[in-house]
Amino acid sequence: MTTQNPESGDFRRDEVIAGEYVLGVLSAEDRRKVEARMASDRNFAAMVDRWQHNLASFDDAYEAVRPPAHVLAAVERSIFPPAPVAAPPVGFWNSLLLWRSLAIASLAAVAIMGASMAGLFSEPQSQPLVAELSGEGNTINLVARFDRTSGSLKLTPVAARQPEEKSLELWLIEGSNPAISLGVLPQSGEGELLVPPEMRTKFIEDATLAVSVEPLGGSPTGLPTGPVIASGKARHL
Amino acid sequence: MADEEISALLGRVALRDRDAFVALYRQTSPKLFGVCLRILKDHSEAEEALQEIYVKVWQRADRFATGQASPMSWLTAIARNHAIDHIRARKPVANAIDEAYDLADPAPDPERSAAVRSEGRRIDACMEELEKDRAEAVRRAYVEGLSYQELAEMFAVPLNTMRTWLRRSLLKLRECMER
Repeated sequence: MTTQNPESGDFRRDEVIAGEYVLGVLSAEDRRKVEARMASDRNFAAMVDRWQHNLASFDDAYEAVRPPAHVLAAVERSIFPPAPVAAPPVGFWNSLLLWRSLAIASLAAVAIMGASMAGLFSEPQSQPLVAELSGEGNTINLVARFDRTSGSLKLTPVAARQPEEKSLELWLIEGSNPAISLGVLPQSGEGELLVPPEMRTKFIEDATLAVSVEPLGGSPTGLPTGPVIASGKARHL
Repeated sequence: MADEEISALLGRVALRDRDAFVALYRQTSPKLFGVCLRILKDHSEAEEALQEIYVKVWQRADRFATGQASPMSWLTAIARNHAIDHIRARKPVANAIDEAYDLADPAPDPERSAAVRSEGRRIDACMEELEKDRAEAVRRAYVEGLSYQELAEMFAVPLNTMRTWLRRSLLKLRECMER
């Protein structure tokens, strides 16, 4: 595609090409060129996004038609193939040694954090509660931030971009009570969970937040089943 | 169906939640199947395309950024792009973007602003500023995934005329929306 350098270029021509791409009138080869340019030129990609956003109001023209049932079955067959009989590949997430060492490391971290955080709780209740969830010696850390008025609990997991076989589940532990699930963490970027109203009163300083590794979609039993990879106590910011 | 509900389902699909995926499929597949049928105009090709589209949705759910676009627009864009790729592969058309573009009316570059998201549905008002047949050509190109050649035949104008119509219409739309 002989379009110019994005800084100096002919915006009008670029706008037209971006619009033609979204309209769909270009040839297959030209569509690939446009996509390659989108990947390397953010200004141009923004033009395409803007057309996409503008022209989406034409989507109203598409009438809903229920597809035949066999399509979903075919989709499921291609996404969820039957489990292989062979032993699973030993990757990062499947390494037993890793989980053992993480579990041990995180137990140590709980003890260390518990000790180091004693005496930090003197701020007024209206401040957000934060907890740093970490396991010593591993690469997974989370920062949890609880806003009492909205009930939102923001998490920044560093366990993003992991393979997809596992889910990270967040737990709230009050004293010696059983852990209560706060939900499964988003696998990428900053996570935000809405704490159910009935659980907000349980969200107090000194409560422990912990993250465990669970089967896809979360613990099947309602209690943590996998290793705890990070935990920490809530304190006022 | 609420956008929030579809966004929430997409979030769970990004976490590989199979139940959420099936729920998302049940809620959104009629619209996306409508897209495939309209563009491909063939029932069995549309079924095949729909299947491939939902595999892409499963693979890309984690790229959906809440708040950035309506989840239904996001899904529809995946479906349109897939169906258009399919039909361009089946019925190839001439490459064009390396050729000269006859855009005319070289107005001074409008001030470039980053107000990308603020235009809302003003496209509808701007469409009314286009001549009726050109607005119709723009809309049918989008909705039916028609090529320049097909549009030219449909509107009984030479191919290059149709190209000029659509390209100038795009510029007018852009200028109208930046006003």
